[in-house]
Amino acid sequence: MSPIAILALLIGIPSLLLLTYVFVRGSTGLRRYILTRIGLTLPMIFILATMVFVILRILPGDPVTSALGPKGTPEQIAHIRTTLGLDKPMIVQYGTFLWDMVTLHFGNSLVGGHRPILDEMSERFPATLELIVPASILALLIGVYGGALAAANRKRGIDFSLRIYSVVIYSLPVFWLGLMLQLLFGLRLMWFPISGRIDAVIGTGLKTVTNIYSLDALLSGNWPAFLSVLRHLVLPTVTLGLILSGVFVRMTRVNVIETLHSDYIVAARARGIRERVLIYGHALKNAMIPVITLIGLQVAILLAGAVLTETVFSWPGMGSYLVERISARDYTAVQSVITVFAMLVTLISLGVDVIYSLVDPRVRY
Amino acid sequence: MKRKTFVVVTVSILMVLLLSACGPTATPTAAPTSAPTSAPATKAPTSAPTNTAAPTATSGPSNPDTVIIGTTDKIASLDSADAYATHDWEILKNISDGLLTWKPGTTDLEADLATDMGTVSKDGLTYTFTLKDGIKFGDGTPLTATVYAAQLNRLLTIGPTCPNDVADTLAVPYVKSITAPDDKTIVFQLTTPIGFFPQILAGAPYVVSDPKTFKADACNLNPTAPVYGVGAWYIDSYDPDTQMLLKPNPYYTGPLKPQAKQVIVKFYSDPNTMALAVQSGEIDVAWRILSPEQLTQLKGVSNLTVGSINGGAIRYLILNHTMKPYSDPNVLKAIASAVDRNEIVDTVYGGQATPLYSMVPPGFLGATEAFDTMYGAPNLDAAKKFLEASGYSAANPVKLEMWYPPEHYGASTAAWMQVIKKQLEATGEMQVTLKAQEWSTYVSALTQGKAYGAGVLGWFFDYPDSSNYLDPFVFNRGEGTNVTAPQKGSLTGIPLNNKAKQLVDLLNKADIETDQVKRADLYKQAQDIYSDLVVTLPLFYLAEHVVYPSYIKGSSSYATPETLNIGPNILFYYSLIKKG
Repeated sequence: MSPIAILALLIGIPSLLLLTYVFVRGSTGLRRYILTRIGLTLPMIFILATMVFVILRILPGDPVTSALGPKGTPEQIAHIRTTLGLDKPMIVQYGTFLWDMVTLHFGNSLVGGHRPILDEMSERFPATLELIVPASILALLIGVYGGALAAANRKRGIDFSLRIYSVVIYSLPVFWLGLMLQLLFGLRLMWFPISGRIDAVIGTGLKTVTNIYSLDALLSGNWPAFLSVLRHLVLPTVTLGLILSGVFVRMTRVNVIETLHSDYIVAARARGIRERVLIYGHALKNAMIPVITLIGLQVAILLAGAVLTETVFSWPGMGSYLVERISARDYTAVQSVITVFAMLVTLISLGVDVIYSLVDPRVRY
Repeated sequence: MKRKTFVVVTVSILMVLLLSACGPTATPTAAPTSAPTSAPATKAPTSAPTNTAAPTATSGPSNPDTVIIGTTDKIASLDSADAYATHDWEILKNISDGLLTWKPGTTDLEADLATDMGTVSKDGLTYTFTLKDGIKFGDGTPLTATVYAAQLNRLLTIGPTCPNDVADTLAVPYVKSITAPDDKTIVFQLTTPIGFFPQILAGAPYVVSDPKTFKADACNLNPTAPVYGVGAWYIDSYDPDTQMLLKPNPYYTGPLKPQAKQVIVKFYSDPNTMALAVQSGEIDVAWRILSPEQLTQLKGVSNLTVGSINGGAIRYLILNHTMKPYSDPNVLKAIASAVDRNEIVDTVYGGQATPLYSMVPPGFLGATEAFDTMYGAPNLDAAKKFLEASGYSAANPVKLEMWYPPEHYGASTAAWMQVIKKQLEATGEMQVTLKAQEWSTYVSALTQGKAYGAGVLGWFFDYPDSSNYLDPFVFNRGEGTNVTAPQKGSLTGIPLNNKAKQLVDLLNKADIETDQVKRADLYKQAQDIYSDLVVTLPLFYLAEHVVYPSYIKGSSSYATPETLNIGPNILFYYSLIKKG
């Protein structure tokens, strides 16, 4: 079984179970809401896929000539065009493209070994997942607690510092921050490795099943590999996590401040509940609801950030794959990756909306 | 207030750390991982000046038995019947051998799997070789001439159907058949006599592939490891996105015995990260491809050596001899006289490139500096004279349109095209319009020879021989010069004029000459006519660079140990690297 199939099962089955549970146990309104959201998601993916198809075809440049260069003979060009179906009418190409997307048949890459794109993505996607999950957790930890801390100390030094932090960190280009961390912690202090997912020598002994190296190392009980993976994760995770944390700090701060002015907080304070419990026990919980929506919205930014982070740290994930294939003008791979990214963002947005409707009963279905 | 102080202090520390990261890196005394006592004594930590501004790379090896080579090249194919990329060839030449090979660090040929350099029939059409005894694949299977011939025949049979299709360039036009009359003898029957056939034969397409992995009826670009050949190494594991592990072939009997217990080729997506990795010691060698800026920076790092190889990548102007105003020989000569190559390499490449005065780079058979001899460029007076002979003047300047791809050869292309424009316009009688076009549109328009009068291209040899730097631009092989017109059934086409005919005749003669001294002389004559015709205008060539710390050494038994024995053929023999 390929790593992507294992991952699909690991993520897909619990998600499906959760959705079924919500659907069965939820109210009629909630059921209608979920159906509506799914109904809206499908045309959204269709529109996105169509846009990707059209944009790549109106851009200047021919993928076949690009791939072959000046040494390509007319026969070779014609052969590849036929193989890729580029000699067929546009409407036929479009139909084939849509069907291929539905059946996850992305075809073969135009460069780099001409391997099936699905295989390449199945090797790359776990790497991206291994990066964006801890980066998101880090961003949330810093963002939520930083935001709450700022709100609790409103108009004090700590509030100003965190507000400045959130603006500065959000404004920093991710590649610059990554480079600075590499120079400081990788080259000067030599605390963490500069690139890759695992030490080159240790990596030769790691047996991969899911291609999530930390998980594979744990499953095989390979502790040196596990530690090496963790060390390699630090700099890219911190880079991506810090960049994302800024917006969470601001969002959480604003919501906590707003919640602290609510009647129930005033009443709780009047009853003598300690300020710390009030903020972290009551206000923060309610302030988190809009933050959940923000998580959904940040997925696109997270993936965009991953593209640059992966490139800077030579992290072989979907982001660096996209950059490599754009450079090589491998349009088949590019349109597949963009479509998968778009589908991913849309599906996560759907998931977030469903969770939001569960968490906040005030949402009208 | 305590919190406030904490935050202020933390932010300040972070800022100081970040700012310090922008400065020079610490000397070894500050590095937590100190060099082992056995590390080479080229830079002892205690003797390092504490206030030096020069950054320092790690001074000792971390895995003494493993050599880690970083590259930004990716593997496109590991099938010798298909692979058509420099780095693919490098891997293939490390895991397997051919009948002939190049002496490390040079382009000089020597016998490899063959007992000697072989025999050539009088008509130059038949090459016969005898295999050495005791050659085995990495899994212990013996190699026979029958197996070898069968594997080489894949080039002729399935080769042309493989995606990278090296066969149509390096096999099908030259080789008619490959046979093995007995277990020791291999016979090549050529389609036409070719003087440079031994050079082609030494290349990666002619190494032995394992019949168990590379079947007769299918291309196998991505074989599953282990991949065996008869070379010094075999591929033990391989992940196209991260790294390739090579281990010594236990049955190897050749002269290039591995010095390390394993070699890891690590793939980088960003050259900047690779540059940092060689400084931090994550990799032992940074090989292909670092930018001029990165190389300049790495040259300032103590403990690191930047070895420069006068490789084969050249840049030149394609001039279409059938389109106005480039159909006028005086205009072509004026351009050749006005271009100052030194200014291009100094201002744009900071000296990391070398001016090129013939399409054949220095070091190749019969290479001359014909363009320098003929035009002494830059010579603006001569350029003006040529233009005035065709009726051009300051009041009536010749209008030139020159095209370039802004991204394919890097952002520097636009910069050096601007320099060329300035140099040509300095004559006062040329008016240049630069036009940029996206690569795929550009390359087909330029090489079809119908749309663009002039443009930029790069070239990298298919085999290290002068013929590969001249023939493709003279014969009608689609490079867009149009000095010969295509003719059905002819490899060379119909020459544009008498001079072009002389050039075609000379090249044809040189290509079939088997005496290398005579060939060299013919190529010298060909380069004179080439520069007189200005078939193309060679500009500069880009050296390849290899960066390594002091604990990595090349072999002093072979040429150019300072570049880890990588010669002008850009072939890196991993066996010769010594660590520690």
